[in-house]
Amino acid sequence: MASVSQSPVTFSGSLSSATSASDLLRSSMNGVNGVPLKTLGKGHVGHGRKGLNIVAKVRKVKKHEYPWPQDPDPNVKGGVLSHLSPFKPLKEKPKPVTLEFEKPLMDLQKKIIDVQKMANETGLDFSDQIISLENKYQQALKDLYTHLTPIQRVNIARHPNRPTFLDHVFNITDKFVELHGDRAGYDDPAVVTGIGTIDGRRFMFMGHQKGRNTKENIQRNFGMPTPHGYRKALRMMYYADHHGFPIVTFIDTPGAFADLKSEELGQGEAIAHNLRTMFGLKVPIVSIVMGEGGSGGALAIGCANKLLMLENAVFYVASPEACAAILWKTAKASPKAAEKLKITANELCKLQIADGIIPEPLGGAHADPQWTSMQIKNAILDSMDELEKMGTEELLRHRMLKFRKIGGFQEGLPVDPEKKVNMKRKEEPRPGLISDKALQGEVNKLKEQILKAKETSSINMDQNGLIEKLQREINYEFSEAAKALGIEEKLSKMREEFAKAENEQLTPSQIKNLENLKNEFNENLATAPNYGRLKYKLSLLKEITEAKTFAENYKKALPLKAKVNEKFKEVLEKPTLKQNIENIKAEIEKSGVSNIEEFDQELKEKVLEVREQVESEFVNALESSGVHVTSKVDQTSMSMIKAKVDELNAEINQIIQDVIESTPDLKNKIEILKLEIVKDKNAPSKESKEKIESLQQQIKQGVADVMSFAAVKDKYEQLQAELAELAGVGSDGSLIKEPIYA
Amino acid sequence: MLIFFWLKDSNGDIYSLYFDIENHIFEIDNDHPELESSFYRNSSYLNNGSKSKNPEHDPYMNDTQYTWNNHINSCIDSYLQSQICIDSYIVSGSDNSSNNYISSSICGESGNSSKNEDARTSDPIIRESSTDLDVTQKYRHLWVQCENCYGLNYKKFFKSKMNLCEQCGYHLKMSSSDRIELSIDPGTWEPMDEDMVSLDPIEFHSEEEPYKNRIDSYQRKTGLTEAVQTGIGQLDGINVAIAVMDFQFMGGSMGSVVGEKITRLIEYATKEFLPLIIVCASGGARMQEGSLSLMQMAKISSALYDYQSNKKLFYVPILTSPTTGGVTASFGMLGDIIIAEPNAYIAFAGKRVIEQTLNKTVPDGSQAAEYLFQKGLFDLIVPRNPLKSVLSELFQLHTFFPLNQN
Repeated sequence: MASVSQSPVTFSGSLSSATSASDLLRSSMNGVNGVPLKTLGKGHVGHGRKGLNIVAKVRKVKKHEYPWPQDPDPNVKGGVLSHLSPFKPLKEKPKPVTLEFEKPLMDLQKKIIDVQKMANETGLDFSDQIISLENKYQQALKDLYTHLTPIQRVNIARHPNRPTFLDHVFNITDKFVELHGDRAGYDDPAVVTGIGTIDGRRFMFMGHQKGRNTKENIQRNFGMPTPHGYRKALRMMYYADHHGFPIVTFIDTPGAFADLKSEELGQGEAIAHNLRTMFGLKVPIVSIVMGEGGSGGALAIGCANKLLMLENAVFYVASPEACAAILWKTAKASPKAAEKLKITANELCKLQIADGIIPEPLGGAHADPQWTSMQIKNAILDSMDELEKMGTEELLRHRMLKFRKIGGFQEGLPVDPEKKVNMKRKEEPRPGLISDKALQGEVNKLKEQILKAKETSSINMDQNGLIEKLQREINYEFSEAAKALGIEEKLSKMREEFAKAENEQLTPSQIKNLENLKNEFNENLATAPNYGRLKYKLSLLKEITEAKTFAENYKKALPLKAKVNEKFKEVLEKPTLKQNIENIKAEIEKSGVSNIEEFDQELKEKVLEVREQVESEFVNALESSGVHVTSKVDQTSMSMIKAKVDELNAEINQIIQDVIESTPDLKNKIEILKLEIVKDKNAPSKESKEKIESLQQQIKQGVADVMSFAAVKDKYEQLQAELAELAGVGSDGSLIKEPIYA
Repeated sequence: MLIFFWLKDSNGDIYSLYFDIENHIFEIDNDHPELESSFYRNSSYLNNGSKSKNPEHDPYMNDTQYTWNNHINSCIDSYLQSQICIDSYIVSGSDNSSNNYISSSICGESGNSSKNEDARTSDPIIRESSTDLDVTQKYRHLWVQCENCYGLNYKKFFKSKMNLCEQCGYHLKMSSSDRIELSIDPGTWEPMDEDMVSLDPIEFHSEEEPYKNRIDSYQRKTGLTEAVQTGIGQLDGINVAIAVMDFQFMGGSMGSVVGEKITRLIEYATKEFLPLIIVCASGGARMQEGSLSLMQMAKISSALYDYQSNKKLFYVPILTSPTTGGVTASFGMLGDIIIAEPNAYIAFAGKRVIEQTLNKTVPDGSQAAEYLFQKGLFDLIVPRNPLKSVLSELFQLHTFFPLNQN
């Protein structure tokens, strides 16, 4: 596109419009696009008078700076990819920077140079002095760098000449290409990402990039990334995960950039997202802290399987300066803060935050960047060798566990109650709010515990808590049922009545009322909407109480069991018995029959004889140890007896119940007794206990008086006789002669 | 062949013992095992399941002193006991226990659960006024001044009004226990790791005030063991795992204990498939525990990775004023849905830090929830009053339902 420009001649042609002429002038100078419409019109006027003068002008194109040379060499070291990197070795060597604590060294060095100069000027031989001075220098350097204080290390870590991420990357990789952009509007220069190979093994590299001089530092924002930088890193993490690149991250940042724009873009969110994502990457991750690792901004690319640190690198939650300013109100306290914060590689290794230290040359990494890079390379390859042996699951678990174990706290010790008065207390769950599933779960758990306890023969458990809980639940269900059945009012009315009559005897009509109410409740209970739940909970309670009684009984029986087992062993160990048993075993083996039924008569008798011997010895042993053997029966007859006894008991119970039902006096007493017991439970007192006792006595007496037992008594005696016959136990407790087979 | 013995030990308890003698004769070479016997105590067998401990009443015993009368007496005893064992519903069938319920509900006012319930569900204001009586008696701290409009609020009613300023509606800071009460149904709170306290893991005791003393004094001042309370509770009947940070305790700073408690809570929620709420109020990582506190960010994020990405459960952080630093840069911003309170100060780098790095003053309100909401940093701004119902609705939308719903 060419622009039409007016020749200056028009100026003389249109005197009447001096301003427009100057407009014209300006527009012609603007060149490409600056021809206002108005002037075009004016120009048209002039055009009529004078001849046209057309000049073609080349558009000014913005000159881009590209990293590649005019004629790229295809055989360059590092491959053609290296042409694409704008990161080139600095043209001028950086000025040496001396840190405060290095001053004595510098003095020595100066001295050496002076002496050398003198030697050159005078032509005398000062080599002895020079050598001794150099030795002194080396010694001083070594002393200084092996005993660096934390704040000195901080200063080394921030050294302006310290090799940066890309310096190391180009030192250690065969090939490397930087990948750019977060695909969300920006390519943050403070975070550099790229892929490349070390010794032919491919890796994803990402790291904080500081500048090597002021100009670069301004461009790189001093290595402080914005959210864009973290999102670029995040994109690359997904990329590496997708394509299977192991990740190596390099940490060197004072922290995430703190400005309002970053806040708006979600600096916190970007970091948080990185943290979480890094725990899901299915490739090994190694992080290397090269310089300073500032807080969250550093951690955002540091959730690695292995966190390695250069010898003079530091990693902190707050910079020593900030910490000092907050805690001691002065930045001068930063050496102290640096010490307290435990920020050096050595101390972080002790805290198990860092997993290894990469050595640096004396004088810091900038003294010999190439050497440092080689150490880093070795460390990366070693760590990756180790991590690549792990399966994906193991790798993720390894990364999780590395951080899971970090932290220092104490628990299990009782805390002064005063120190936790404002903690929200545990609340006993309100009945009806626990799900059936949860209850069932608890009951099952406890039952399991009981079973387990049986095996290990140590029973201690907390069923009581659960039983109480269940009781509360059941109470709640009952009250719900009462509400649903509409007898709540009656209940409360009756409650009042009873409260009034607290100390007096209950009138028969009251008791009658109570009886009626109970009957009503019982009859209608099945129609209550929560009957199912109620029943369910009752059954749970039953289950658990049964388990409990079982466990209690079992516990009681334990010592006896041990004793019996011991005795039995003793008996069998007796030489005579043992001999007999061995004999019979040998005989049985000889006969070659396995079933007792197939034994011939002789053998059978022998077996019986031995058995009898064992039995009698066993009984004797038990008797002698204080365990009284009362009888010996077989299984079938025992279950028969059980059934009979049950029957008898049921009959007796029935009679008792009949008696009570038919005697109003007794019935009343039982009701009163019940109420008394509840009262006593709510407010235990001696009087009520006595009252209960006496009531119980009265009732017992009453029942015994009225009962007629003629029929059951006969039955009982019959059963007794049967028992005696069956067990065949005499008063001396000896066994019957014929053992019973089962 | 099974042989039974009746054994009576020194206590007079009776046991039956049966064992297989055959095996021990013929398989005695079988490593001579322990006698394969099993016991069960039999003393209460005849007593209808009641707990009578009178072994003499056992008819299996042929003791001469045993008489018919004794047996009848024991029967009566057991009958009585089965009638009156109200305190322990150890009776079969619901008939008996329902009778017991009536008796106990008539006699024991205090045991009446329905009454207690009424008291609990009554208006919270009434409850508050009664518990805060002692405060009134001191004639001090009667008023709370609003940070925003400097208006005065009567302290007695302040808590029941969720710490909202009466004049301007400003959301003032809330203690962690109040907030638990606000969001968890009464009677369902079950705390976790209450007694976990901080050590001085990096030996950061400064001369003036050792870190341990500092923790101790904060514990006494606030009555909290650490800057977070974690636990399980129900929110409108939905079981949830919840952590609430407390800004009063060292600025809600996140140290090892906070990290560990939250991590354990998340792990528990992962195991039990519970939705998770974390109410954030924090100044960031705790400096006094050095890089250990920093690593808590990673630790919690790793637990959240499992919770959110593997188990696909539902996590809601609630950002209250202030939420800054390490908390924002980890679990604060990792929610499936992020909720902020009105006027909350939310930042990664606090105002002072920004002013320091840029040497510029930061205008007020540029880190307020409302401003950042416009920039798209969270999903919702929810005021305190409907917060609980909003959460409940959100949980139900994510298919977490109340337990007792059919």
